[in-house]
Amino acid sequence: MKTYVIQRLVIAVLTLLGMSVVIFTLLRLAPGDIVDILFSTAGYVSPSEKQAIMKELGIDRPYWVQYVDWLRQMLSGDLGKSYRYDQPAWQIIRPLVPVTLELAALSTLFAVLIGVPTGVISAVRQDTPLDYVLRVFSLAGLSMPAFWLGMVIILGLVTWFAWIPPLSYVSPAQDLKLHAVQFLLPALAVGYRSSALIMRITRSSLLEVMREDYIRTAWAKGQTGRVVIWRHALKNALLPVVTVIGIEFAFLIGGLVVTETVFNLPGVARFLVQAILWRDYPIVQNLVMFIAIVVILSNLLVDMLYGVLDPRVRYGG
Amino acid sequence: MSRARFALFSIIPLALAAAFVGPGTSQSQSQTPKSGGVLNMMLREELSQGFSIHETSTISTVWPAMPCLNNLVLFDPLKKTESVDTIIGELAEKWSWQDNYRNLVFFLRKGVKWHDGQPFTSKDVKFTFDMLREAPDAPAKLRINPRKDWYANIEAIETPDTHTAVFRLKKPQPSLLLMLASGYTPVYAAHVPPAEYRTNCVGTGPFKLKEWRKGEYVEFVKNPDYFVKGRPHLDGLKYFVIVERGTRQAAIQAGKLDVSFPGETTKTAAEQLKKAVPQLVITPFSQNVADNIIMNIKKPPFDNLKVRLAVSHAIDRRALIQAVHQGGAVVGAALAPKPWGFWGLAEKDLLGLPGYGAKAAEEKALARKLVAEAGFSREKPLKVEIVTRAIAVYVDMASFVINELKQVGIEATLKQIETAQWHAMATRGDYQIGANLTGVGPDDPDANYYENYACGSPRNYSQYCNEEVMKMFDAQSQELDPKKRLALNAAIQKKLEADAARPILDWKLDYFTVWPHVKNLIPHQSIYNFGRMQEVWSDK
Repeated sequence: MKTYVIQRLVIAVLTLLGMSVVIFTLLRLAPGDIVDILFSTAGYVSPSEKQAIMKELGIDRPYWVQYVDWLRQMLSGDLGKSYRYDQPAWQIIRPLVPVTLELAALSTLFAVLIGVPTGVISAVRQDTPLDYVLRVFSLAGLSMPAFWLGMVIILGLVTWFAWIPPLSYVSPAQDLKLHAVQFLLPALAVGYRSSALIMRITRSSLLEVMREDYIRTAWAKGQTGRVVIWRHALKNALLPVVTVIGIEFAFLIGGLVVTETVFNLPGVARFLVQAILWRDYPIVQNLVMFIAIVVILSNLLVDMLYGVLDPRVRYGG
Repeated sequence: MSRARFALFSIIPLALAAAFVGPGTSQSQSQTPKSGGVLNMMLREELSQGFSIHETSTISTVWPAMPCLNNLVLFDPLKKTESVDTIIGELAEKWSWQDNYRNLVFFLRKGVKWHDGQPFTSKDVKFTFDMLREAPDAPAKLRINPRKDWYANIEAIETPDTHTAVFRLKKPQPSLLLMLASGYTPVYAAHVPPAEYRTNCVGTGPFKLKEWRKGEYVEFVKNPDYFVKGRPHLDGLKYFVIVERGTRQAAIQAGKLDVSFPGETTKTAAEQLKKAVPQLVITPFSQNVADNIIMNIKKPPFDNLKVRLAVSHAIDRRALIQAVHQGGAVVGAALAPKPWGFWGLAEKDLLGLPGYGAKAAEEKALARKLVAEAGFSREKPLKVEIVTRAIAVYVDMASFVINELKQVGIEATLKQIETAQWHAMATRGDYQIGANLTGVGPDDPDANYYENYACGSPRNYSQYCNEEVMKMFDAQSQELDPKKRLALNAAIQKKLEADAARPILDWKLDYFTVWPHVKNLIPHQSIYNFGRMQEVWSDK
């Protein structure tokens, strides 16, 4: 187990290194840079002034020098300075991280709380009216983009209650109730879509397991439905579900752009898009690396969970 | 008939203005202001250069930065029309033109302090304007200096004592005062590096910066040491960054925001808001932003005047206003038309300009004739690539223009350019024809002409350069008689359209929306000049 984790961490480091090359290169391939954007806000361009600013920011240096400099900074724990804000990148990124992590975790929690039970019910009551209703419910979730649902929620609230959630981040210390409301609504919008996926995977996986011999044996031994389904069937059906949950959580870290925008939450994803538009390389590079780390760690966690859920899964080494 | 139709188009926005404006705007001046309260406002994007107004040309910086800064002079926040008669002193208590408008002397207020406690003196004035005009001995340099041309006529700035500043001009320029009264012209502190304004705001203004939470909000608190006694009325201001338009509208509808963003509310959005919340006060006003066509005069086919004129004749401005802006714009030439602006051409003059005629069919026939005269035909059609910024308001306009050009035998294809590339491309002249938007700080000819039409100006994207017209620019700039200056400007506007230098399609209107408890926030005829918030109060 220990060797397996070490192996995975070594692979993770190599993956991150590959990611760093990809993100660095892609950013430079995109047309324009921060200096073009700065001039765009001024409405003109001066080649000599542009050169001076490029020098000031260090983006006139050869790409490989910039890349090595970035890696060196990261390894020394320095994330560089935001071009746009002229402040240490970490100062800018730090407050965004908990917002996105909380929203992603809450959305995933909602998704699991809705998706797994409905998936189980749907499988157990296969081809009954209840199954059809739940399948339509899940199909609707898959078809509705979270940002659309988010906007509908906002418009519904303003139309019927003349109220919308807070416009800036409210910390739990400031007002726990308001904080909860601020996160519950977007988490519901996002969680509903994810729950639909989880529900469908749970249903199909459970239906497959329910046809296994050991389930038939359990029924034959006279065990109750609850024991058969929850202890024997569901536990064995959960591996693909856990995989999907892990992937969904990782996806949400970078995929909450529109939800964060609609609900005006200052999270990583919304800020990342703004940073990309501004070609704020230090912010974009470090945020993408952060997302990559979360994706790698959540994958690792999911793989570890396999062993817990299914004793047949053993790790090499 | 044509006159009547034109008059109808002019009257419609005015009639709408009468319908929209509810109680609580101009009437508020007669009420006794109350102290206290915090106003919640919106920003449609993050501050692009912090509070460094001098380094940007966007309302997204000017609007939230104005409350913490002061000018020497400012357009009176309580008057909706900006002109030389509505200029009031800010850091300058008085001013005086001397030597036949060649010296402008400012007598500065005493006892004014910067937000960090340092005293304000004439040194700060000299520092700011030497930096802006890039004087050889300027103690500081801006990273980006978009309005250097505004101050090209200043020969020297002298400070005979700590509370007097003298602007010595190369030639008389009465309108310099109007540019100094714009929201784009604050005074910076000499003891603060200009770069610091990108992250902090050390001003003398009515509000002090409390916090700028990046990407989230900017918060100001009342400056208790403000030099105008009893001002500001409000305890604070909070500007929320809300990127999503639907959320912004919902926020104002729900009352989470008290004020809309200048230039943000379209006619359709205003109608929806008014229907949902009838008590909202909506005031139409000119954004001082014009839709226009830029044609690269240095390259074929637009080096040919006939082709340029054909384009101008082809575009039905009134149809564009209806189709693209749902009626929320007005027809005008190089300067915003009356009553939305001060200098614009009169109705009868506009009707005679290429493309401005009320009969679109006749205009298009003229355009076809000009295209043919330029040597193009059905067998040999004129094919062009029209560029525009990849932003909805630009693309909508460009799409309309393409359809209009098609009707006169000009086959245009659309190329969308990312914002990061747009200005570099336009400044280099690396295009044939483009659909463009131009915002002008103060509603003043100098600010517009020297920036957008003068030979060598980096924002003269068409690269139009006419020495005769340059002389006309200088003549109107130096003209002391207001009536003569108005007449000179009428002639210039006609000439610019006759040369199809940069055909103007329309002047956009904004439907500025506030809740009725917001008092004394009066939109001017330019979005860039009324954000000081010194006189605003809340009747909550």
